Amino acid sequence: MTAHPSSELLALYGSADLPLLERWKIRRHLSHCEHCERHFSVFRASTVELKRLGATETLTSFEAIADWSRLEREMEGNIVVGLDAARCIDKKRSPRGLLLKFAAAAGMASLFVLGWATHVPAEQSTRMFAAFRSAFGGRRANEYRGPILRSVPDGIVVGSPDSSMTILHPPTAVVSASGAAGVEARYVDDTGQVTITDVYGQ
Amino acid sequence: MFMGSKFLAGVVLALTLGANSPAMTDTDPNSVPRWLNFDFPRDSPVLLVSFAMGSSTAKIRGTSMLLDLHASFVLRNVGGKSLSGLTMRVEAPDLQSGKGSVTIPSLTVQPGDTFPVRLDMEILRPISAGRTGTPSLVEVGLDCALFSDLTAYGPDQLHSRHTLVVYQLEARREREYLAQLLHNQEWAKLRDELNFGLPDASPRSLGLEFIHGPLSSMLSGKSFSVSPVVFSGAPVQPIGGGAEVVGNEVRGPFVELRRMSNRGLRSVELGWIVRDDHDREFVGGSVPVTLSAEAVQSVRITDSAALRFSNGTGQPMMIGTLRAFVNDVEFSDGKVWIPSRADIDEATSDPVLRHELANSPEQQRLAKIYRLKGTTGLAEELKRTN
Repeated sequence: MTAHPSSELLALYGSADLPLLERWKIRRHLSHCEHCERHFSVFRASTVELKRLGATETLTSFEAIADWSRLEREMEGNIVVGLDAARCIDKKRSPRGLLLKFAAAAGMASLFVLGWATHVPAEQSTRMFAAFRSAFGGRRANEYRGPILRSVPDGIVVGSPDSSMTILHPPTAVVSASGAAGVEARYVDDTGQVTITDVYGQ
Repeated sequence: MFMGSKFLAGVVLALTLGANSPAMTDTDPNSVPRWLNFDFPRDSPVLLVSFAMGSSTAKIRGTSMLLDLHASFVLRNVGGKSLSGLTMRVEAPDLQSGKGSVTIPSLTVQPGDTFPVRLDMEILRPISAGRTGTPSLVEVGLDCALFSDLTAYGPDQLHSRHTLVVYQLEARREREYLAQLLHNQEWAKLRDELNFGLPDASPRSLGLEFIHGPLSSMLSGKSFSVSPVVFSGAPVQPIGGGAEVVGNEVRGPFVELRRMSNRGLRSVELGWIVRDDHDREFVGGSVPVTLSAEAVQSVRITDSAALRFSNGTGQPMMIGTLRAFVNDVEFSDGKVWIPSRADIDEATSDPVLRHELANSPEQQRLAKIYRLKGTTGLAEELKRTN
């Protein structure tokens, strides 16, 4: 090798990061070139110093990790700072974003109202709103509070939700109102006999 | 968990009914369980022969107890006349809000013969209600027994004598009409009459909710006019009427009636036919009206009740039109008029409406016999009952 090796090659040689052939060439050049030998000595001294400083720094960090109370205080502090920062960001959020969200919600609501108006019969809407009013507004003074009398698929029920009497009938029974306060079901039973069950409210 | 609930139900039932309640098994009438008590007078023309409680159970449901009764019993005609119909009162003494009845029309039970009756019901009562001193949870008693000569026996607390007479007259009308079709070999007409609705595999079912009392004023409805169905031979005819309809709810129906006969009248029973928004017709019900003794030419019948209609699945049934007809009239001498077949045929040319007007318990029973046993079975049944 006639030309001097570059500083990068000398640094890589010092850290043993060169291939075997390149390393042999550098070692051979340094054995007879005083200039490069001095340059390389500076690199080697710097590397040793760096390793010593690195070891010292690592030990200091480990000691810090071992101090759990201090670490806990730091973590809590970081969380508090993070939350405060998030609140600051919320307060500073742009009005445009809020406007977009409001517009999206209004659009969805309009779509729901439009769908309801075109698909749900008016009578059912009226009944549902009345039920909501009844549920959240309380019963009115003149509203009926007497016993329930109604037919269900397999019987006629009279009473209240926790106390009632049901006379059962097959689902194929013909159901109709009976008299001024009664419901009846008529069917042919398995013996071929017609049976009529009536339930009356008091 | 299931066993625990069952055990708890048993314990509560034992406490409720008393420790001396016998088990629920087939038994004779002298050892009737305290679930069910039969109250037939000593001189009753029908007496209990035997009964069984079948698969009756008691279950806990929340803070209440559910008694599921499936009783079947056999009664004997111990009187001297042929029995044509029977109504029994069914009451739960603990429950003050209502009562029920079981009616067997279209009977032909000769003296000494027996016949079966079924009673399937549920009683829901709070566990905390305990025992209130009543002899049993369900009381069954005779309300009226009707004989073939149209005389009756029984306290008639439910006014069932009149209903049984109407059923019996309708049964005679149907038997006579069908026997005539058979005699004249009018097979097509017979098929139309008794096979009506057969292609419809799932029968139309109607749901009803009866509201009797002050109504909420928060919903206002539309005024509907009631179309009268006029029978030319009727001693009383409807001439018009109206009702307030709110969706599937009919409120305060009224009908104007005009007298067509000079005979004294005691009561009129009005029938209602409801057509839904899919043009299907249902007999919505019938309302008996007691008439005053004064010979007024026309009278307005009003009812403060409200009825909510739904289909079998509970979905509200929107009301399309309302019709009213006179189902029967009782004269002051106790005789009863019902429309004849000719009256019904004259009243409308609509086959669906005609079928609804003629649809009686006996027609329902004979239609089932015809579908199961054909013309031969129907002829044998008509021979037995006519």
